Amino acid sequence: MLSEKALELIKELDRSKDGKLPAFNEDIIRKVLEEMNTLFQQNQRDVGEAAAGEIRYFPSIHLRHAALDRNKRCLLAYLYNRLERIRAMRWEFGSILPADIRANLCEPETQWFNRYNKNLASYMRSLGEAGGLDLTQDTKPPKNLYVEVRCLRDYGEWEVEEGDTVVLQKDTTHYLPLAACHHLIRQGVLEQVE
Amino acid sequence: MLVSDLRKEFYDVIKGKRILVLVHSDIDGICASKILQSLFRADHILYTVVPVKTRSDLVSAFEQHREQARYFLLLNCGGCLDLVDVLSPPEDVKIFVADNHRPLDVCNIYNGDQVRILSQLGEDEEVPAFEDVFREEESEDEDEDSDEEDGKRRRFDEETLERRRARRQWHQQRHKIIFDYTQFSYYGSSTAMLMFDLAWKLSKDNNELLWWAIVGVTEGQVFERTEQDRCVLATGTLQGHVSRLNHQTQDSQPLDCLRITFEKELKLALYRHWSLVESMRHSLYASTTLKLWTLRGEKRLQELLAEMGLPLVQCRQLYSGMDVNLRQDLRSLLEEKSEKYGLPDLLFPSFSASRGFRIKVGSADYVYSAAALLEPPQKDITPTAAALDVADCLAVGREEVLERGIEGSKQQLSAIYRQVQTFLDMNQVISAGPFLYATVIQGTPDAWFFSAPHCLTLLARFTLRAHVSVSRGRKSGALPLVLTSPDVRAAQPDTCLVCGIPPTSEDSRRNFFGKAFEQAAEKTASRAELEFFDTNIIRLSVDDRSKFFDALISLLS
Amino acid sequence: MSAALHYPSYYPSYFSIEDILATNEKVPCKFEKTACDLGFLDPSGGSKDLEVGTKLELPCWLARALASRRQIVSCQLPKTFRERYREILKADAALVDLHTLSPHFYELGQHLLPLAGPEGTTLGLLLVETLRERLRSIMDTSLNTTEDDAGTRQSKLDQLERSLFLTGRKTFRDHQLWLSRRAHIVTTSYMVTQHNKRKFSEVS
Repeated sequence: MLSEKALELIKELDRSKDGKLPAFNEDIIRKVLEEMNTLFQQNQRDVGEAAAGEIRYFPSIHLRHAALDRNKRCLLAYLYNRLERIRAMRWEFGSILPADIRANLCEPETQWFNRYNKNLASYMRSLGEAGGLDLTQDTKPPKNLYVEVRCLRDYGEWEVEEGDTVVLQKDTTHYLPLAACHHLIRQGVLEQVE
Repeated sequence: MLVSDLRKEFYDVIKGKRILVLVHSDIDGICASKILQSLFRADHILYTVVPVKTRSDLVSAFEQHREQARYFLLLNCGGCLDLVDVLSPPEDVKIFVADNHRPLDVCNIYNGDQVRILSQLGEDEEVPAFEDVFREEESEDEDEDSDEEDGKRRRFDEETLERRRARRQWHQQRHKIIFDYTQFSYYGSSTAMLMFDLAWKLSKDNNELLWWAIVGVTEGQVFERTEQDRCVLATGTLQGHVSRLNHQTQDSQPLDCLRITFEKELKLALYRHWSLVESMRHSLYASTTLKLWTLRGEKRLQELLAEMGLPLVQCRQLYSGMDVNLRQDLRSLLEEKSEKYGLPDLLFPSFSASRGFRIKVGSADYVYSAAALLEPPQKDITPTAAALDVADCLAVGREEVLERGIEGSKQQLSAIYRQVQTFLDMNQVISAGPFLYATVIQGTPDAWFFSAPHCLTLLARFTLRAHVSVSRGRKSGALPLVLTSPDVRAAQPDTCLVCGIPPTSEDSRRNFFGKAFEQAAEKTASRAELEFFDTNIIRLSVDDRSKFFDALISLLS
Repeated sequence: MSAALHYPSYYPSYFSIEDILATNEKVPCKFEKTACDLGFLDPSGGSKDLEVGTKLELPCWLARALASRRQIVSCQLPKTFRERYREILKADAALVDLHTLSPHFYELGQHLLPLAGPEGTTLGLLLVETLRERLRSIMDTSLNTTEDDAGTRQSKLDQLERSLFLTGRKTFRDHQLWLSRRAHIVTTSYMVTQHNKRKFSEVS
């Protein structure tokens, strides 16, 4: 059946969810483009004939055209959905993605991510007067300026405020300002205790 | 330096600053740290809490964090070590110590500035006077130099000879004083209690903190660390606080909040979470008095239960499955029969906590549960994670951790009972002259439980009392016990833990084994690690064990 | 973010993965006109062209493109939307295992409406009635099941109903957090947990 390869791309995206992005499937994309090319060539030839008066080519032309549309839709949906996931990752993982996810992005996607990063950073800087507002912080309304956190794994030194550092060793408990350790809690290095 | 006013000299000093807290992995220490943590949170004092288990843990933790803060607090660790020497803190660092181990090192007590001791010394704790232990050293050096310079003429001068004799005498005197002072190690009052006092003076006390203080004090009672009269005093003070904070009736407060009650409690381990018979069998007091491992003992137990009118079937089920009327009358029934069966101290004043519709849990139950969480039967939990577990089990809303601890505690107590039974059946408690001696054989499957300080001490006490109750001569009551068990939790192979406890006939809980072990190890150059803060336990290499014991015997006879 | 083009929606959306998958379901069609050089689409036939009268199962997207105005093929409703199953659904919709029947029941049904011809109205009504009857139990179970049960409860629902179920569960969980005053506790982000879980299983 026509357009099956394109569907594979969609199925691949459907199978992976939440923090996993499969590697950019250049292979299948190339195959889909080839199929589109073939269909287009065949249609070109048939349209030439049909324009000369042969109406019997009409059904094939429409069929192939539908297949071309479908392929285009699948490709665009694939690219669009990947971009949306990458955008969501910026808000979940922070401005630096884990290495294995980065390996799965193609070059244009990496560029897109960097540009999005810059955009977001400059937007956040422009909010408010005092040098900006970090929108990725405080995903839930905080109740307290300081929080008690427990360290889940060894992380080394971490700067808390001007000049003050904390050594984050496994199984130690700390009482720190929320602004300083919010990012680490989201990354799973610290755990908030209540 | 000894601190008398905790509020002014400790709390107000650290307000607005960062403090690093190093906590010993014992229940009292963890309770104290929880009380302090809630105080610090109220005043936004930034803190970091690091659990430590041994001396080397303390030193390495201090090394790692030395740049991070100007103030350090040591809870239940380090009081008996010369801190300035061992940790070599930088000049501007202040170390506060709240340690219930005694004797506190004289260098810490008399340190002018860097080391501040928060623990309050009781009246019966005598500290050597400053002049007896420290002395101006400069004048002596000058004398030495001037002696060398002026040659032979000076050497035979009366004055110098006199001075040298006095100096020698002073040193001998000092040596004797220090030896007497450090010979016996014991425990002072609970650190958690001290921290609760501080909270009270700051008017920040509440029922939660009080409960933690109670659990800390109960640890001393359950593990028989504090002396009877000190126990009674502490209980009295706590009772005052309990009645102050708990005088409102049930109806006027939301059901979910903590209520502490003070009542006479049975000295049976975990009896509310176990069956009555099992609990009696595994409790130190009841089991050793009734000799429940013998057939006669079993019969006596059944007699006792029958006399009280408790059906045997019900006593073998879980306590919560017993009839409600029987449960209510249990305490009074036991109290009546206690004289006849030789269990006069079966009831003792204690505290229990209830929250909402859950069953009441006694403070001793918390202590057993926490002790089991500290030394878990699972092999993959690190000591620091275990300390966090204990902190969790004390927290609100984490009942599943407490349950897990109680289950673990049941396993621990069963293992102890089995081992004691083995010891007595095979007559493995031998008299080695000045003390009794027992070894847990290598390869015992329960050895995993005993490679941990709390459990090992419990086993030692159980064994000693059991042995004393069955032995014919009166002498065994006056002998202390040394127990050794293969250390299967240690990283190095072929090590064992050696634990010494004082004899049962003595009331005072002072233990001379700390010093004795140290001297015996030195004399025989054994590979011993005096790592633990509870000095009556050391880790020894198995090969050196026999010569170590020979040295110990000759030392103590 | 609420109008994101790729979210599963109740109306077909160009970028929606759900929609692309739904329109891939097969519809039985009969060719009314010959399609030249496309004989390869019919594995059983031998000719180069698709002759008039060839019966073939085409994916819905293709069927719609060819059927509606150009009438190159004529379509029938797929088995699961025909008389027999309609009767079953009318009898008691709440008990039917919709997932095995057709995982994209509602979306596919909507796409089939122009193809249904005279049965269009009945099909439309069927879709609405089925959802109405099943909705009550979905709401109930989503707000009242434990985490372990949730998997089994979901097994008989189609994709649309599953997304409703999951939304209900999320609301329930958020409500619980708020009631127990733990709503402000910052937790590790969901993606990070999943990512770490995967890394851990790969390493070990």
